[in-house]
Amino acid sequence: MNIVSVLVQLVGGLLLAPLLPGLVQHWKARLQGRRGPSPVQPYRELRRLWGKSVVSVDGAGFVYRTAPAVAAAALATAVLLVPVSADAPGLGVGRDAFALFGLLALARFVAAAACWDVANGFALMGASRDLMVAVSVEGPFVLAIAVAALISGTTSLDGMIAGTAGGGVWSSPALGLAAVAFALVVIAETGRQPVDNPDTHLELTMIHEGPLLEYAGRDLAMLQWVGAARHWLVLVLAAQVFLPHPHPVWQQLALLPVVLVVLCAALAIAETLVAKMRILLVPRLLAVGAAAALLGIVSWLVQL
Amino acid sequence: MASVLVAAVALMAAGSSVAVWRRWFGAGVALQTAGAAVLCAAGFWMLASGTTIGNTFAAAFEPRFGVDGLSAFFLATVGAVAAPAFLYAGRYLDDSARGRTVAVLSGAFVLVLVEVLCARDPLTFLTGWELMTLLPAAMILVAHPEDASRRTVFLYVAATHLAGAGTWIAVLLLAHAGALGGTPVAQGSALQVAIAIAALVGMGTKAGAMPFHSWLPRAHPIAPAPVSALMSGVMIKIAVYGLIRVLVDWLGVLPLWIGVVVLALGALSAVAGVVYAIFQHELKRLLAFHSIENVGIILLGLGACLVLRARGADTWAAFALAAALLHTLNHALFKSLLFLGAGSFERATGALDLDRLGGLLRRMPWTGGAFLLGAAAIAGLPPLNGFASEWLTLQALLHVPAYGGLGDGVAGALALAALAATAALAVFCFVKVVGLVLLGPPRRTAVAEAHEVDVPMRAAVVALAAGCVLLGLVPGLLFHELVALAPWPVTENASLGLKLPGTGSLPTLGIALSLGLISVALAALRGRRSTAPAPTWACGQQVEPALAWSSAGFSKPLRLVLEGVLRPEREISVRARGGVVQEVSYRGRVPHLLDERLFVPAVDASLRAAHHARRLQTGRLGTYVAYLIALVLVLLAAVKAGVIG
Repeated sequence: MNIVSVLVQLVGGLLLAPLLPGLVQHWKARLQGRRGPSPVQPYRELRRLWGKSVVSVDGAGFVYRTAPAVAAAALATAVLLVPVSADAPGLGVGRDAFALFGLLALARFVAAAACWDVANGFALMGASRDLMVAVSVEGPFVLAIAVAALISGTTSLDGMIAGTAGGGVWSSPALGLAAVAFALVVIAETGRQPVDNPDTHLELTMIHEGPLLEYAGRDLAMLQWVGAARHWLVLVLAAQVFLPHPHPVWQQLALLPVVLVVLCAALAIAETLVAKMRILLVPRLLAVGAAAALLGIVSWLVQL
Repeated sequence: MASVLVAAVALMAAGSSVAVWRRWFGAGVALQTAGAAVLCAAGFWMLASGTTIGNTFAAAFEPRFGVDGLSAFFLATVGAVAAPAFLYAGRYLDDSARGRTVAVLSGAFVLVLVEVLCARDPLTFLTGWELMTLLPAAMILVAHPEDASRRTVFLYVAATHLAGAGTWIAVLLLAHAGALGGTPVAQGSALQVAIAIAALVGMGTKAGAMPFHSWLPRAHPIAPAPVSALMSGVMIKIAVYGLIRVLVDWLGVLPLWIGVVVLALGALSAVAGVVYAIFQHELKRLLAFHSIENVGIILLGLGACLVLRARGADTWAAFALAAALLHTLNHALFKSLLFLGAGSFERATGALDLDRLGGLLRRMPWTGGAFLLGAAAIAGLPPLNGFASEWLTLQALLHVPAYGGLGDGVAGALALAALAATAALAVFCFVKVVGLVLLGPPRRTAVAEAHEVDVPMRAAVVALAAGCVLLGLVPGLLFHELVALAPWPVTENASLGLKLPGTGSLPTLGIALSLGLISVALAALRGRRSTAPAPTWACGQQVEPALAWSSAGFSKPLRLVLEGVLRPEREISVRARGGVVQEVSYRGRVPHLLDERLFVPAVDASLRAAHHARRLQTGRLGTYVAYLIALVLVLLAAVKAGVIG
């Protein structure tokens, strides 16, 4: 079974990840009464971008040139790190949930540093907002992970998938509260409404897209893949840790695609129903998530 | 081994003495550097081999010296920072009388640090402790004899001496109770609590933990670069050494709530330190606030250790202690790297105002590259050393709720969230620093014409950067030794990465390889074919220097979000004539509330009190005789009433 797990992890994380934002965009358009792009549109864009040359910007240097590769490497390493089932061998980068924070932060750091390298005011505006949102996400993210880790007694992600499997853990509110927090983390990390509007192409309103502003060609392709891989990582965690999932590994693997598709549909519905909120209110929304996860920890401590 | 240590000390002492003469200045500094390097090597060797030499602690009145594992680790840390700092100082300080004096004093300063670490009796320890405060004050005064810095130095000495009384109280009470000789203080007794609180105030002040930190962002930035590196890199670490000695080693198992207090101090220092760092617009001052943040992270590890120890989770308590120690060394390396780098930038461009630098990575590739690595390390990014120790501290904090009850469990969870937020804020802050200092166009003529500094100054920062990379790749080697430093027995298996039970483990080498190989492969795939350079996109506007993004601008979203806590002040004045706006001026400032509401009033009140007290000292003989007679009368009355005697 573990060969299959590794295959799903690598093929899914590295190759199928762009399908997730594609599905969300597709269904969102349908829900809004448009025909919209096909779900494979992200692949078409990646192919088109891969064929184009990169641009060079006046005065930009080493950091601008290498940032997309380093950001993509950080996310690829994160894909290697996050297993899709409870029975998956390590791939040499460990399995630890807290290591994920460092890798995501690295991708964010190099992308924002590249904005300084090209000295683009609009890109920097996006980058500073992106980092501000990241600061607010960190609290609910780490506390939600902490709830799952306390329940399963390990911060190893495969152990966490095993520890939160089955119906028993849902008899206490702890994991449910963590799931509320993680839902907000998913929205913020993937840059979806109400935190960010992925459809905006106005420089003044960009958050996640801001740092991509000066890139083209293969650089932009890598950065777009980074966004897709981020969808994969948080949605896999949501499906296999924070939502009910069965014990047997084959059932976990079989259910994963279904749950991912459902989660994409849920994101599309949420984007259709909710308008983007004022950026300064985003930290409050995420603080609600942190409070929920903290309550989850309290309820776990109380039932001891 | 003792002879090697003595040789290291002798080398540094000889170097510091001969550096007095101008013709021997270079040789003296070289001797100092060699001595510090030997000290570093000897410290690590003693830590690895588990040797202890010399005396053990005793409440004796004769000078006693000795080295055990904990001292050896801190000696290694001192050496690891002092060697590059001396090397750097050899070129940074000129051979004028002033420069030579600073070089001699910094040699003496490092020797005093060694004395504190090797002291095995209360008096030697406390003498070293006081000299450790006074020598940097002397160095700052020699380098900057102006009135403004004199006032700062006065505040620094006053604050650290007044609060430093806690150190005296703690050490003397311990000596009196016989805890230095090995008799443990009764657990939960009032004496144990009093000692712990006194040590937290006294040594916490020296470490720069909030809310006792006000001297730190004042004193560190005005010192010459190598002295700042020594102060931020090692002096505040000696206070951490003192805290670990008292709280972990001498006091035995402390009540749970002391651990929670340490966690709270750590969380406050970490979060508030980095938040105020983000709103600093001068590089060295910003770095000084980051020292407070990192002391906070170290205290979080120490607090987790104390709580877990009180809960009986000895293995994880030892891991938490090792996390705090590892972060101590890591911070010593990257903070001295950043301070030395800042010194080089100041030397090359004349000033360190963040909004008026830029583009230094291209002009000073060695210093700039090392500074970039240091910034990534302090931001806790893989695969560098800051990431490893922050990961360990996160794990230690997670185990506080895992082993704890409701109260300490919630405290642990809040500390966990605080550390995660601190890491994200540090990324925010150092993106800003890297961007404003190293990247983008130069913002002043002097910056545009900056040149790389001399080879020894480059070598110092590159060596420290290499240390950051090495400890990031194989933290496990050191971690194994640090776990063994806990004064209770723990078993742990050695590995190169960090492989702990109940975690997904952190194979640092594997992560570094994966990051490195994939980046290189992708960079190769990307190719070098690109269009002709075009100006950056400014929505069709001409890109002008006036459009350059500033430090305040980049941190604005965070300032707006935290407005309720930070209370930023702003002033906008618009001058219009006949309805046409002629001039708009804007002034914004983020006040340091803890400082302005607590520290400054305390300083003013004590200065006023001192002014009143001065009236007692009239200088007239008659008054003093009257004082004496009054004293005798009061004493006689007291004896008569049976209060004394």
